[in-house]
Amino acid sequence: MTLKLSRRSAIAIALAGTVTFGSYGAARAQDIVLGGSIPMTGVFAFAGVAINNGITDYLKIVNDAGGIHGRKIKYVFEDTAYKVDTSVAVFNKLTSQEKISLYYGDSTAFAKTINAELLRRANIIMAGASFASELNNPKEYPFQFIAGPDYTEMTGILLEYIAKTTPKAKIALVNSDTEFGRDPIAATEKRAKELGLTVVEKIVTPPTSVDVSTEVLKLRRADPDYVIFHGYILAPLPEFMSQAKQLGLKAKFMGTFWSMDNNIWAKSADVADGFMGVMPYRYYFDTEGKSPMLDQIRKMRPEYQSTGYIQGFLTAMLLVEAAKRTLADKKELTAQNMKAALNSIKDFDTGGLIGVPISIPGNTLPVGRVYQYDGKAQRMKPVSDWIDLTKK
Amino acid sequence: MRIGTAHETYAQAEALLDTNVQRFWLIAFLILLAAFPFVANQYWVYMACLVGIHIVSVTGLNILTGFTGLVSLGHAAFMAVGAYTVATLEIRVGTPFILNLIIGGLVTALAGILVGIPSLRVKGLYLAIATIAAAVILHFVFANSAFLGGTRGLSMPPATIFGYQIARPSQVYWIILPVAVLSIVGAANLFRTRIGRAFIAIRDRDISAEVLGIPLLRYKLLSFALSSFYAGVAGGLWAYFFRVVTPESFPLIYSIFFLAAVIVGGMGTILGGILGAVFMTMVPEVLKIVVGWMTPVFPNAVQFLSPVRTIVFGALIVLFLLFEPQGLAEIWRRVRRFFHLWPFRK
Repeated sequence: MTLKLSRRSAIAIALAGTVTFGSYGAARAQDIVLGGSIPMTGVFAFAGVAINNGITDYLKIVNDAGGIHGRKIKYVFEDTAYKVDTSVAVFNKLTSQEKISLYYGDSTAFAKTINAELLRRANIIMAGASFASELNNPKEYPFQFIAGPDYTEMTGILLEYIAKTTPKAKIALVNSDTEFGRDPIAATEKRAKELGLTVVEKIVTPPTSVDVSTEVLKLRRADPDYVIFHGYILAPLPEFMSQAKQLGLKAKFMGTFWSMDNNIWAKSADVADGFMGVMPYRYYFDTEGKSPMLDQIRKMRPEYQSTGYIQGFLTAMLLVEAAKRTLADKKELTAQNMKAALNSIKDFDTGGLIGVPISIPGNTLPVGRVYQYDGKAQRMKPVSDWIDLTKK
Repeated sequence: MRIGTAHETYAQAEALLDTNVQRFWLIAFLILLAAFPFVANQYWVYMACLVGIHIVSVTGLNILTGFTGLVSLGHAAFMAVGAYTVATLEIRVGTPFILNLIIGGLVTALAGILVGIPSLRVKGLYLAIATIAAAVILHFVFANSAFLGGTRGLSMPPATIFGYQIARPSQVYWIILPVAVLSIVGAANLFRTRIGRAFIAIRDRDISAEVLGIPLLRYKLLSFALSSFYAGVAGGLWAYFFRVVTPESFPLIYSIFFLAAVIVGGMGTILGGILGAVFMTMVPEVLKIVVGWMTPVFPNAVQFLSPVRTIVFGALIVLFLLFEPQGLAEIWRRVRRFFHLWPFRK
């Protein structure tokens, strides 16, 4: 074995080291930078890739139109594999290389972990893929927000719908045994009681459970009118629903945002027929009313885009809107100014992504609508009007 | 034996470093580590901290698996015990962080002894399953204990020393570095003692070890305790570093990560544990940088090459196992041997 170090290779190594340890790809001074810890691989990659496309497309629209106040928005991101230590590493890396003002985070754990650093820096506002109720606390998370309702508000929207369509209904809650799954249980029970609904069964399952026969028997004994699932993407929902149907249960099954994408149900359309849930945004294929943004999305991407895409798109829109309003007020892009600008959003038109004008008084957008899966058409179809919890 | 290192006393023969050249390089390396936070940006300091935590944890697992031959897949759960202990002490008692780290290690050592009890009757895959079962039980306790914050876990304040907060990676580095160095020195010295040699004897043939007068239960439990102590301290450092501890912070995949680090680095060598921790933590990051270099040529490189990067990382591990089963430590030894004789050897 011989090792030869020529002058050329020494220079190459030195250059590589400089590029690696130093900052590279820095934005032009005027650019506003949106950073992202995005899960392009790992268990959440299905959403991460879609979210990334949504953010990229919205920023393209903005930049093609000249940016905001003459400043372009630059998007820098890296894959996190949905691991919190990697997400923080990406945050540290990107903030070491760029002057980041806006940020997209990939998980609740990341949002909680990075919060102290956001408070210390006070020059970045952040939103992300988490709808955790814990983040809906402007005092503890002053520089973060959720581009939709939090999980408690999501089940709240479902309960409003149930109370309206089936007063005094009996409800069963089925949640995964994770932070994500257990998030809204206590608040849902409380709200159900306020609305005159009865929670007759609470079931917590492992997030990846396959055999749900004992849980289905519990449901059969409780005989609820509605079953609300939360904390799952797809499995074990089809298994639950098919076994429940075999046992003759008449209950209607409902889900929250991450189990409401149209495509995940395509392969089990028969079982999914009639499955309902809350969706804060319009679907890619929704054509009712005016929705110029959806028209533009459909023009840019002729094939179906998932709900994760719309979430990424809208989040980028709100982050950019906060920066835009801050600059319009001739203020510095500090976290405090941008969050105040975000909270000044009132009756804002999202270009039809949400069917009603929105306001962001705190850390969430507590608006949503109940959709139901039509197995024949293989599409989610709206079965309620938009429900705005701030007006309840 | 290397040229020019004739030992004249037992002390010389037992020394961890036997030449002045080794001592020089070690001191130079320590100076480099001390200077690192002043020259590197926040990202690299963050990565150095993460590597440091992983080194402590992997060294602990190496004591158990590499030196004593007891396979554990509950190492991440032991880290969780340490992290929760430290977070609880910091939030509810307010004791100094050094004491918290030590108590975190001791509590985890106790948990390790409990989990290690079956090790007298079962070993190999059976013991691995027993440790997974223990990890599941611990996860259940963390997720269902209101005292420990349930599924939301605990958010803790930063460590403080004389009222000065140690919050940022460049500050936490100064906790992690000495702890990592101490843990390595401690482990290296352990295997110069009767206890360490007993561990190795158990690994090589436990029945023979017992015939030679080594009480298996005591030493196996001691190995579990020591390994868990390391995991507990690493978990405590993790808690101070991230300041949020939830039941999902330490999944089973994290235990597999540590086991892979021990195997890739080289089982049963201290250096192997260090190199394994560095490799497993840094290679995905280096691959990311390589993907980043392609961005000017392929604007969507990050999007399209991220899955490829994961495959490359997996393939690298497989290749190591195939072509260098003794791990990175053996490669390191070969490189050193080459330079010992350089330039006289062709």
